[in-house]
Amino acid sequence: MPLKCYEHVCSTMMALTNLGKIEGVIPLLHGPQPCSYQNQVGSMSCRPAQLVTAGTLVNKSEVIFGGEANLKHQVKNLYEKYHPKIIVIINTCVPQLIGEDIAGVIAELRQEIPGLKVTSCNTGFNFPRSMPLGGDAAWVALLETFEKKEKVPGSIGIIGSHGQEAGNLASLEVLLKKAGLPCFMFPMPHIDSMTDIVQAETIYPIQMTPYLTCKCLEETFGARTCYIEVPVGMEGTSRFFRGIADRQKSQKLHDLVDEEERRVRPEFEKIKSRFAKQHVRMLLVTGMANEVSIGKILAEFGAEVFIVPCMKNQFYQQEKKIMQERHGVTFIEEEFETLGDLINEIKPTAVQVEFHAQVETAPRLIPTMINMLYLLEYGYDYALDLGTNFFKNLHQPVYDNWSALLNKYGVQPWLR
Amino acid sequence: MAEIKQDFKMQELHRPSAFEGVLWTTMGIRDGITVFHAPPGCYINQHVNALVNDWSAEMYSTNLSYGDVMQGAEKQLESVLRKVIARGPKAIFIVTAPSVEVTHDDVEGVAQNVGFKDTVIIRPPIGGTAGEGKDAAFRALLDLMDPAPQKQPRSINIIGPTYSTFNWRADVFELSRMLAGIGVEVNCVLSAGATVQELKQAPRAALNVCIYPYDCGVATAMEMQKRFGIPYMADIIPIGFANSAGWLEKIADFFGIDARPYLQKTIANCFEFICANMVFAVTFEMTAALSLENNNTYAVGISEFLAQEAGVQVLMCSVSSAAAAQRLSASCGEILISPTIEQKRDAFVQSAAMVIYGNFYDKKVSMDEGFKNFIFADIPTIGYLNTENRPFMGFMGAKYLVESLVNEVYMGIFLETKGEMMGPISTGAVPWDEAAQQAMIKIAEMMPHFVRATATKKLHQVAEQYAKERNTTVTLAIIQEVADKFTPTKFKAQFSSVFDDVPQVGSVQTEDEEVPIESLNFSMPWEDEAKKMLEFVPSPFRQEAVSGTEQYAREHSSAAVTVTLMEEFRKELGM
Repeated sequence: MPLKCYEHVCSTMMALTNLGKIEGVIPLLHGPQPCSYQNQVGSMSCRPAQLVTAGTLVNKSEVIFGGEANLKHQVKNLYEKYHPKIIVIINTCVPQLIGEDIAGVIAELRQEIPGLKVTSCNTGFNFPRSMPLGGDAAWVALLETFEKKEKVPGSIGIIGSHGQEAGNLASLEVLLKKAGLPCFMFPMPHIDSMTDIVQAETIYPIQMTPYLTCKCLEETFGARTCYIEVPVGMEGTSRFFRGIADRQKSQKLHDLVDEEERRVRPEFEKIKSRFAKQHVRMLLVTGMANEVSIGKILAEFGAEVFIVPCMKNQFYQQEKKIMQERHGVTFIEEEFETLGDLINEIKPTAVQVEFHAQVETAPRLIPTMINMLYLLEYGYDYALDLGTNFFKNLHQPVYDNWSALLNKYGVQPWLR
Repeated sequence: MAEIKQDFKMQELHRPSAFEGVLWTTMGIRDGITVFHAPPGCYINQHVNALVNDWSAEMYSTNLSYGDVMQGAEKQLESVLRKVIARGPKAIFIVTAPSVEVTHDDVEGVAQNVGFKDTVIIRPPIGGTAGEGKDAAFRALLDLMDPAPQKQPRSINIIGPTYSTFNWRADVFELSRMLAGIGVEVNCVLSAGATVQELKQAPRAALNVCIYPYDCGVATAMEMQKRFGIPYMADIIPIGFANSAGWLEKIADFFGIDARPYLQKTIANCFEFICANMVFAVTFEMTAALSLENNNTYAVGISEFLAQEAGVQVLMCSVSSAAAAQRLSASCGEILISPTIEQKRDAFVQSAAMVIYGNFYDKKVSMDEGFKNFIFADIPTIGYLNTENRPFMGFMGAKYLVESLVNEVYMGIFLETKGEMMGPISTGAVPWDEAAQQAMIKIAEMMPHFVRATATKKLHQVAEQYAKERNTTVTLAIIQEVADKFTPTKFKAQFSSVFDDVPQVGSVQTEDEEVPIESLNFSMPWEDEAKKMLEFVPSPFRQEAVSGTEQYAREHSSAAVTVTLMEEFRKELGM
């Protein structure tokens, strides 16, 4: 039992932020006041304009007597006020513990308001060692409301992991479109365009996270899932596209990848030579699965990479194998008490962690990258940008100056 | 399934609960360790959000899964406690999460089994407020305290500051500085920044001082009086020059100290500051709206200071405590208690204040409505650095409140209302309709003096440009369009009244025109004395007052309007 948890956020917040980025969808957080307050405040920095978080604020009497009536009333309030296309009940720990009949509430609401689509997902302590899966559960909740459509022959679906990616996957989409492949992206910024994903024949996940999403698309909508690898860095991106090109029999896509490689290779080589001169020992800890993808990019540049993964599902196992064989990346799957302990053991030159781990990294004067600032990491150009600016972004001289100052005056950083 | 009969507000912007209150209280104790007996999601959220406000907040967790909670998580707790003890804490604070409160783990039994002496268990109630949580935690800390220590002369405890209390560092720093000025020492702060040893020796102090009496601390002080015989003081909020002086003077009196030389010097210095060119010239023109539902004490203190010592008109204040609302009725206009987001948005727009004090949500809501002048004064912030530099309490705090207001707002409004740097000064002779001219005069009167000239010049200029482009005179419609498009939101609500009136130019009801009480329309019986009270209402608003009061009477199942009912209505309106 570790003393702390270094994951990105609660799985409830993952669901809340994912759904909050899709126009036409309103999440309703079913839980007590601290749950609503914390998830609302915590998600402010990564949500678009929508600030409101509808919540049921389960109280003590509802814990004893049940909160279904309150929940039902709040769904109706939401519908009357915003007329969303879909309301997703995010069912958090406490209502799960007291065994709330969410399915019953939804069935009643469907009868009473025929135009209303309500669905739900269970979050909270269902994902204690892989919080980003709360977002995956939210996507599945949405998929459960989608209707079947005719498949588009030869079409592909690109399955992303979190809400930030809605409308922001051009780095992958452009090349696929240039190759003339019928392509559906998931997620999308509007629920109407998001439902088109059910028309894709073959789906290609681009992260380890959307395992449940892919499973649901397979089982409910008859899609075929093909996990190639996370398309980051030069080699990862090329292999991803070439994998699609082979399966979709698209020589055009192969040609486009050749072209891209010719474009970016000189810069990649420069970055690699910089990493060869300045050794980087990088520890990346439990982000939104981007600890793996950013680690993959840095490993390709030549960094020595240690990763504490945020999940261990089937897609992760495939990705882990690729990265171990290709770049010799070390994966740390054993539990550790605190990050400080792990840092003392591994002695990294830089770390990538979540916001709340800084309380341990900052006093140790270790250059720290924050996971949530390194998203949308797919494709060639992201890797080029990361590599070109990597050493500058670490701000090592600032840490050195502080180190000198502390030494000069004999100050010991305060570590709890 | 039973349907809830009563209507209830949409719960969209949430406030911290008792769980936050407890965790913020214990996390602030420097050499103690907080163990949050909770699933990892609860832990991460609480930790991340605490770190947003206090950079050294640290805590550990039992990281419970669904299975753990269902089967009882005592073993996990025991394992974590043993590991925590190995890290050498001076005290351990165990706080239970809502899900653990549902299953009701035997936390006390585990703690007893582990046997660490200074272990404090706090089980926040589901549904409690942050203030209640803080008091519950403070009271639990009393069990750590040495009941009979040697008394420390001229020393006090400050009760109230916890982590995530907006600006606590600066306020404690400034109050400690002031106290040092009269020779009084702060023995212990409950609890932010305190060590376990300081907490244990808290009963050494001769006096307890609650600095957030509208939020927390008073119940704790009462308990300390009972247990340790320490009297307490909670009646003066040290915000503003006069209240800071009064606060310090009262403490000095308690210890038999003559604070006059110190206060004389300090007040002279403060007055010198107040006499600065940029103070009253600006503050007397200012209007403010306060939205401080998570810091009722600030709401009361800042409102009173702004109104009474800076001459700022406080148009509205939003709080979460009825007691704070009651006190605020003397110093500010509209008072809201825990409003919905819509109610608050409407109040901002209707009050049209020049500056808004609030939290992150208030900033966003007010920005959406076009308000630009904002001063952070409450949580949540989602990212805001507070150091010792900018107190709101004490003498330096009062100075900072004025300083921030003038620097932020004056320049903001000035720039907002000024025309383009390179724009033409005049578009040439364009005739103005009389109604348009009258409207323009009224608009100008509604602007603060310090920007009136520049702002009206800009409106003039744009109106004439429109008229020229449309080949017309400057009409009332053009003025309305220009006022709508080119003025800061904070003035718009006021301007709209100009255009409500102007179409009836010539028959506009001015405040000077008397509206006899007999001419008003009454839809229910009124006591004669109640009708007489309408004479105190300005003529243009009398009919509106009748309708509002009758509505209030109906809502309170009253068949007639009586003097008592009117008084109650007035109090609710904060008049």
